[in-house]
Amino acid sequence: MKKNRTRVVCTALAVVSLAALALAGSASAKLVGAFTVFQQCPYTNPEANRCIYSVTEGGEVVLGNKKVPIVNPVTLQGGYTTAVAEFSKLVAATNGITLSKAAQPVPGGLAGIVPDASSPALVKALIKFFFENSLTGVNSTLELAKPVNEVMLSELHLAEEEEVALKMPAKFHLENPFLGKSCFVGSSTSPVMLELTTGTTSPPAPNTAIKGSGGEFEFLEEGRVLRTKNNELVDNAWSAPAASGCGGILSFLVNPIINAQIGLPAAKGKNTAILKGTTTIATALAVKKNNENNP
Amino acid sequence: MKRKATSVFGTVALVALVISAVFAGSAGASPVWKFNGTELSGSEVVVGGALESSMTIPGLTTKCANFLYKLKVSNSAGLGKGEVTEVPLYNCTTNSAACTVKTIAAESLPWLSKLSTVSAKNYIVIEGVKVAILYAGEECVLGGTLVTVKGSAGGLVDNTVETATFNSTTLTATGTELKALGQKIEWNGVFPTEAFEWHREQALTVS
Repeated sequence: MKKNRTRVVCTALAVVSLAALALAGSASAKLVGAFTVFQQCPYTNPEANRCIYSVTEGGEVVLGNKKVPIVNPVTLQGGYTTAVAEFSKLVAATNGITLSKAAQPVPGGLAGIVPDASSPALVKALIKFFFENSLTGVNSTLELAKPVNEVMLSELHLAEEEEVALKMPAKFHLENPFLGKSCFVGSSTSPVMLELTTGTTSPPAPNTAIKGSGGEFEFLEEGRVLRTKNNELVDNAWSAPAASGCGGILSFLVNPIINAQIGLPAAKGKNTAILKGTTTIATALAVKKNNENNP
Repeated sequence: MKRKATSVFGTVALVALVISAVFAGSAGASPVWKFNGTELSGSEVVVGGALESSMTIPGLTTKCANFLYKLKVSNSAGLGKGEVTEVPLYNCTTNSAACTVKTIAAESLPWLSKLSTVSAKNYIVIEGVKVAILYAGEECVLGGTLVTVKGSAGGLVDNTVETATFNSTTLTATGTELKALGQKIEWNGVFPTEAFEWHREQALTVS
């Protein structure tokens, strides 16, 4: 009797496991070939006319007087609408991670951000407190400052290497135990407005013009997928507001330190963003069909 | 005295000739349009249709079964010139199952042209080329996108078969390029040249 019961339990477990597997299978996309990168594209959303998967693999962000190289890949994914006046609105990725939060180490860490020992006593105390903390590294993470549909993309400008190709309201999250969890440069009310181009910038001084690149085009899947490698989106004409929320309850003390050391707020012409990477685009319908044709 | 003066004059003339020959050589000879071996005076209209023609961005080739042109040619100051006044394009397709060509049209006509000689070969160089292509197809990644081909193109003139051939070699030789979507594109085309007005059925050569 006991043996029989064990067998029933085992069978039931096996059935449950199989059912779970089957459900998992039906819920996940079955994209193949060059379409596999569009797993998180909202291709069933009627608003999404195209799917995009763009990985920034290198480049740098100069915020005030701090240069942060991009060493960890940043992914921008989701869909975008049909263009109106040459610009499309981004549609959020199905997993909600439209812009991946890839932390970039700030060279020098906090030592590179906080002032030296000639600072006032309170600041010195803070520095001491800080350096007693073994976690001195600081990460900077690019995040969206506004809803995804406020990110605008012009595929025409992206390809033609002219005018603005990507408008992105952003904020930089500075992370370190000392800085707390809410240390940002930029916010939803005062975002860093990146207006990236694959063409040539015309920033105010002291920055000078820099050139982006549309990259090398390649059509895949019989013209259904377009991949551009080595593209370079640049903007060095944006302004950055002062940091806020740094140091938690001590923010009234820490914010000015961070601002003084980074050089914030930084006017237009003092900041730079260079994003180098690979972008893959397809129509939402092509992605949907690829999914349907590969059960 | 008179003989000496003649001798000096002759030497000067010879030196001048040599110098002018050297300059002509370094600048490249100036080829002109000729019909039945005679340099064209006035103007002539040359027409033709591509024997074959295709434009390729890596992975996507666009072909037109009917790629016609009308070129008004003339010689000016010892140099062959011209104006491409009409380029009707019909029956265009792509090598993609997903993409079709909805519309295609030459823009900003006339396109100016001139003859030039590079490494002893004669070329026709067309400047200000502009062709707008609207691709279609629900699954085509360029569907609904207006792609504009812009730039200049140099084609090798072959007097023996009376054609102008455009390909990556001739574009490189003439220092010309065509771009679309910010990319340098490949254009291959062989165009017969035939007089349409006063010199109809006469051999058209460039030298």
